[in-house]
Amino acid sequence: MTATIDVLQPGLQTTVQDLGRPGLLAAGMAPSGAFDALALQQANLLVGNDVGDWFLVGEDPGAAGLEVLLLGPELRFAEPTIIAVTGADLAPTLDGEPLPLYVAALAEAGSVLAFAVSRAGARAYIAFAGGIEVEPVFGSRATNVRARIGGFGGRKLQTGDTLELGAPTRPPDALTGRSIRDAFRPRLEPDWEIRVVLGPQHELFEPESVETFLSERWRLKPASDRMGCRFDGPPLAFRPRAAALEEQAGGDPSNIVDDTIPVGGIQVPSGLEAIAMGVDGPSLGGYAKIGTVISCDLGRLAQIRPGEHALFRAVTVEEATTARQQYARGRSAEALAEAQ
Amino acid sequence: MLYEQPIHRPLGDLYMCVEFGDELAIEQNFLVIALDMALREAAVTGVHETIPTHRSLGVVYDPAVLPFDRLSAVLRGLEPRATHLREIPSRLVSIPVWYDDPWSRECAAAHGLDSNLAYLAELNGLTLEEAIAWHTGTLHWVAAVGFQPATFQAVPLDRSKALTAPKYKSPRTWTPDRTLCIAGQITSFYPVESPGGYQLLGRLPANLYDPEQRNPDFADGPVLPRVGDRHRYVSIGEEEYERIRVAVEAGTYAFEIEPGTFALDDSLAVPS
Repeated sequence: MTATIDVLQPGLQTTVQDLGRPGLLAAGMAPSGAFDALALQQANLLVGNDVGDWFLVGEDPGAAGLEVLLLGPELRFAEPTIIAVTGADLAPTLDGEPLPLYVAALAEAGSVLAFAVSRAGARAYIAFAGGIEVEPVFGSRATNVRARIGGFGGRKLQTGDTLELGAPTRPPDALTGRSIRDAFRPRLEPDWEIRVVLGPQHELFEPESVETFLSERWRLKPASDRMGCRFDGPPLAFRPRAAALEEQAGGDPSNIVDDTIPVGGIQVPSGLEAIAMGVDGPSLGGYAKIGTVISCDLGRLAQIRPGEHALFRAVTVEEATTARQQYARGRSAEALAEAQ
Repeated sequence: MLYEQPIHRPLGDLYMCVEFGDELAIEQNFLVIALDMALREAAVTGVHETIPTHRSLGVVYDPAVLPFDRLSAVLRGLEPRATHLREIPSRLVSIPVWYDDPWSRECAAAHGLDSNLAYLAELNGLTLEEAIAWHTGTLHWVAAVGFQPATFQAVPLDRSKALTAPKYKSPRTWTPDRTLCIAGQITSFYPVESPGGYQLLGRLPANLYDPEQRNPDFADGPVLPRVGDRHRYVSIGEEEYERIRVAVEAGTYAFEIEPGTFALDDSLAVPS
């Protein structure tokens, strides 16, 4: 029998996500996937699902769960289902009782998962034992709302939708009560330190402005989403440009002849706001990028709430690569505590 | 400026940008495409995908398998092959366009102009008919694909027929889907309804993005344009537009696509 979940209330923006759909960047298709990939992987780990491997450079996108933004959905379980909630603390409840984060729990048939209030962080993840069974599109179940593909009909969830689950890998008794060890749970504390590799166009900015970028606090604007996180901060200035560039790239000093925008790339249009590109972001663009958020810190970027601040800190590519080893431990058996 | 040697810039820890120069030039775009072909052929373990643009090749790689310095060395080994390639495969794709269509005009009117195309014609010292004749009278070279699915950037191969247009100072809040547009000398495309700052040229009856992959040209993927394609824009009227719409809805529409090659020397021979 296939377990199902009824969507009673969809929440602000609830989408089916796995680790994403790489391989189509040259066609202009964003990879999508969980913005905080580690949180989804830990939720999948708890409920015995395939956690997958890596965002963007992986071979296995892992099981699909739900990404929830700020205001959570209300979900009713038709069958007994093992679930885990990770990432932001949106005060989840199961039939009105508080549900601890980072712990696998049994939702009885007919029970309702809801979210009471948004406490810390911006994006929560819900994994269900067996994973969400939607048809993969180009190898992934991730929703790309802008391209209208993947997930549940290429869109966010709506009231009345019914999600189907796959078969769990283990019986409920073997999963209930498992938790992620404290040392591997992220801290949801502003100010958020976000590590960046400078470039590719930091040399187009005045050196003092690069210093300013790395020393000031940057406040997240409400108009932020999975495409880009927009930050208010001090204005940044550009060095004088060759006349040919003004003609070819555009009249604004922040204009460049379009080139690749990586996920995490930070554009600074006109020097007036810093936009860190998210997992649904564009693949090509014509504004200078001062730095790029390292892959391990995309999840922290995803957890900043509007009004909270980011502090950007420069690291080398080697340091970013080392950080990936720590990340990998967080989604491994080492992070998992079996039920007592 | 075309650099003496491409610069290898890190874009975070998962991408490298191989930058050939900082300007728009077809010779530069040729080098990007040639290096992309060489890198694909070499099938380097640790390289996951590539993103060719006007002036740079984005390379997505796994640093645990292939660290930045080793990727850089692999690319330095391939770069000489790219400089020798003078001819590349290039499809010629015919794209029907209803220039100055009612939806573009409605959108222009909602943002303070009667017609973007009339405005553009005047700026270029042409009548509206002449502006259409210029745009359809030269093939366009697709130098980059991206931003949104199927958004491309194409430059006119015959620069004597190059229209130029300013971007909107303040971007429009919406643009109809399937709309062809221009800014600078770059022709581009809005596959889905979205904000935007390019001037509107006209609307396509057949989208270049087909997420349901209903029509035969989309069997391999939902996005038609590829870097290195040549576009021939064909001016159509309402009747032809509606006829094609019916075929698209029925899933039977096929674009006219001729396989072929394109030589850099041909493009440089075109009078500028």
